[in-house]
Amino acid sequence: MESQALNPPKWPLKFLRFFLKDEYLEEIEGDMEEIFYENVERFSVRKARRMYALEMIKLLRPNLIKNLEFVNHLMHYSMFKNYFKVSFRGLKKNPINSFINVFGLAVAIGLAIFAYAFARWTFSTDQFHENKNTVYLTTFFANRDGANQLYGTTPRPIGEHLRQDFAQIKSVCRIEDRNVVMKYDEHVFHERVRYVDPEFLEMFTFPLKWGTSNALKDVNSIILSEAMSIKYFGEENPIGTSIQMIYGKGQSKVFKVVGVAAEFPKARTIGFDFLINFENFRTTDPGYNYHDWNAFVNATFIKVDNPADLISIKSKMEKYKDLQNSVAKEDWAISSFSFEPLATLHEQSEFIKDDISRSSKNNYTSIVFMVAIAVFMLALACVNYINIAIATAAKRLKEIGVRKSIGATRKVVIVQFLTENVVVTSFALLIGLALGYFFFIPGFEMLWNFSMDFQFTDINLWIYLPIILLITSIASGIYPAIYISHFQATTILKGSVKFGQRNLLTKVFLCFQLVFACVFITMSVMFTQNTDYMSKRSWGYNQSDGLYALVPDRSSFEQLRTIMSQHPDVVSIAGSAHHIGRSHKSTVLHFPSRNYEVDQLDVDAKYLETMGLQLKEGRWFNDYEGSDQNAVVINETLANTLGEHPIGKVFQIDSVQFEVIGVLNEFHSYSFSQTVRPLIFKLAEKTDYRFLAVKARSGSELNVYKALQAGWTELFPEIPFEGGLQQDVWGFYYQQIGIYKLVWRVFAFLAITLATLGLYGLVRLNVESRIKEFSVRKVLGAGFKNISASVINQYVSLFIIALCVGAPLGYWAGSWLIEFTDEYHMLITFSGAVIAVVITALVLAMTMFTQILKVVKSNPINGLKVD
Amino acid sequence: MKKTKLGEFEELVLLTVAALQQDAYGVEIKRELESRLQERLSVGSIQSALKRMEDKGFLTSQFGEATAKRGGKRKRIYATTSHGRKVLEEMKDIRTQLWSAIPKLAFELKAI
Repeated sequence: MESQALNPPKWPLKFLRFFLKDEYLEEIEGDMEEIFYENVERFSVRKARRMYALEMIKLLRPNLIKNLEFVNHLMHYSMFKNYFKVSFRGLKKNPINSFINVFGLAVAIGLAIFAYAFARWTFSTDQFHENKNTVYLTTFFANRDGANQLYGTTPRPIGEHLRQDFAQIKSVCRIEDRNVVMKYDEHVFHERVRYVDPEFLEMFTFPLKWGTSNALKDVNSIILSEAMSIKYFGEENPIGTSIQMIYGKGQSKVFKVVGVAAEFPKARTIGFDFLINFENFRTTDPGYNYHDWNAFVNATFIKVDNPADLISIKSKMEKYKDLQNSVAKEDWAISSFSFEPLATLHEQSEFIKDDISRSSKNNYTSIVFMVAIAVFMLALACVNYINIAIATAAKRLKEIGVRKSIGATRKVVIVQFLTENVVVTSFALLIGLALGYFFFIPGFEMLWNFSMDFQFTDINLWIYLPIILLITSIASGIYPAIYISHFQATTILKGSVKFGQRNLLTKVFLCFQLVFACVFITMSVMFTQNTDYMSKRSWGYNQSDGLYALVPDRSSFEQLRTIMSQHPDVVSIAGSAHHIGRSHKSTVLHFPSRNYEVDQLDVDAKYLETMGLQLKEGRWFNDYEGSDQNAVVINETLANTLGEHPIGKVFQIDSVQFEVIGVLNEFHSYSFSQTVRPLIFKLAEKTDYRFLAVKARSGSELNVYKALQAGWTELFPEIPFEGGLQQDVWGFYYQQIGIYKLVWRVFAFLAITLATLGLYGLVRLNVESRIKEFSVRKVLGAGFKNISASVINQYVSLFIIALCVGAPLGYWAGSWLIEFTDEYHMLITFSGAVIAVVITALVLAMTMFTQILKVVKSNPINGLKVD
Repeated sequence: MKKTKLGEFEELVLLTVAALQQDAYGVEIKRELESRLQERLSVGSIQSALKRMEDKGFLTSQFGEATAKRGGKRKRIYATTSHGRKVLEEMKDIRTQLWSAIPKLAFELKAI
């Protein structure tokens, strides 16, 4: 080791040997080594090595380095000047071809940039936290439903225990969210506050715009996000101002604003609106037992200095497991603890149930789709370029012949063509960048209403763009360059070269392109059909006439019901503790054979009628005081897992016996993208009412909605109204479906535009080169029919092949994609593929027709006068 | 007369070669020049000047002995050609003539 360190580093020498003229090598190598050992004596070894490397690089001087043959040829600046000039002239001379090439590539590059922006956004989610590799979410495995599942919540006491028992754990932060009403002056809104330990702002990187983060130690302090600060206080600095938090009927607490967070990075899943000290539960919720092993907090984060400590921590956590298992209800028994670093939490959240970071499965799969689409589009555009370049080569043959005869080698011609290609692609890149920046990205952001935070200052972008430029130019340019340059100068100048129309590869490329277009169109037709189906698909209950309102307690429920029942358009009213599409609780059912984890909704006897749920068998709850206390109605999913004759089956919840009295037809509580979970309805205690559901007379939902809001405001001017139309509970489901439709149409439109452009360019060139033939035909009496036949016949077989391959391929890809993305999709039929074939054929026919028309209308004399 | 043109740095290197005689090889030339100019020079600059002057015919060179310090690689000893010496002398003469052509007044005026 020691002796090796005394030698000069190896790599600069290799570098030198590659570049330096051989005859100088021995002398200079010797000199360098001598100087190195001299430097070792004078300075440190490290410095000597550094100086050695630096000197080596400084040796790169024109008269010392090898004359690399290839480099020399490329270094003819004036030739490049000529290439540029020729490319610009070429672009100007054939505006239509140039447009097809540049526009096609620009669209594809724009999409590629968009895909990049989206991927960057997804992968950077939650990556801005400085401690992302030392902060961990505490998770646990539990078996509630026959299989071990990872959960992101934690038993309440564990945070305290971890803090006290482990010196390696530097800080602990528990997080709980609660819905409250915030009041400042006349600003009153429903809000979600985050109860956290004061370490929150040390663990997560949310710098404050105003105020100090350690002030959160005071239980009377509150920290606001920037958005909330603007919502309540405008642009002013609210530090020191008081804000009132109403957490129950007539119960409130005044907090002092001690901090306002700076604007959050856009790519995040964990953030906050309001932060208050975790200890506030002592005032706001006296029943909140900090030591209850049966209750769970939303999240417990820990910070360790050395991630290796986690292994020993994990092993010592066994005792908590025993502690929890001994007091916990059997269903909630934990089998083991685990930790997930903040850095990978977003990526993994798909597999962690109930975790604080949102599931991201869709984003990660979307990246794959977008990259695939961008690559397809790039391929289409490149193929266009290749086809047109080969077809136009005839016009450039003379130029190449002259170049070759005055000394250009084949290599030089290839370099020339590639240069031209780089020019075209650079144009396309500029336009594509503009398209991406001003059109694709903002369009997408507007549709989904979020910001990708795409900026030109991103360094990776400037690595990515040249790579795209290089790959695209080479992919599209190398074949034409090689092809065109292979002709002999003598044959060209003799005029005996024959090519162009009958190039097999051109046809293969065109076929390839049409197949792509056909695949895209098929897929987008299928998706449009599917989205249509989804927007019409029944939710399993009457979502269009329903409305709901959130109520704080029973008495306000009664008051609101009294008002609403007088409204002429109200058909029925129900009260409930949970509501379809809004809330439920998790329960474990104990059957003699096994346990089931199910969603439980506590409702009243009118709920069935009000929501329009349908009974499959059995009966609903009877509507009199004290009825059916030990009865449940289940959904079809649960009924199916229970086996035949579910009615009358008996099971236990927390050692209380219940009986199944009815089964409902399948309905979707949450959107179609989610699987229907097993579910039970139970009668609610009247004191637990939190929702008021209303069924309006068909068509009068909006009137009733206004009346509901007005009634609420009259009763409770202090508390803002919260509620809405039942059809909006899935987060504006119908608007989203519209967006999917639009996006697929845009893709299909782009694909067919590119393919049509390519076809148009090819057919036009073909027709132009055969103008003499057509003129002779016309002079001899050929009519529309004959001309069209002779234009079309060389493409017909191509079209048929393209459609025969494209449609099934598109059908297959489309059905796979639909099955992959939608749990409850339409019945997939061939109709989509058929419609796509018709559309494609029509577009192809129209493209051909424009050219045929041109020939038919032209005067044969003009065609014969050429040359 | 581009071939005979001698740059300022080249002239310095050439003079050093002439002064060092038998010791005139890369490292020694560098060392000598560095001590006289009081600044660090890179191997690349010296080598490229030497090679350029060899092309122009101011210098000749031949391999000398190898030492262990150089990892067994031979030195290349440079020597000035008669043409080189002639050009050096010409440069010196031109300089002396120019110096003597400067009127003394010019310096005195500047001093004021």
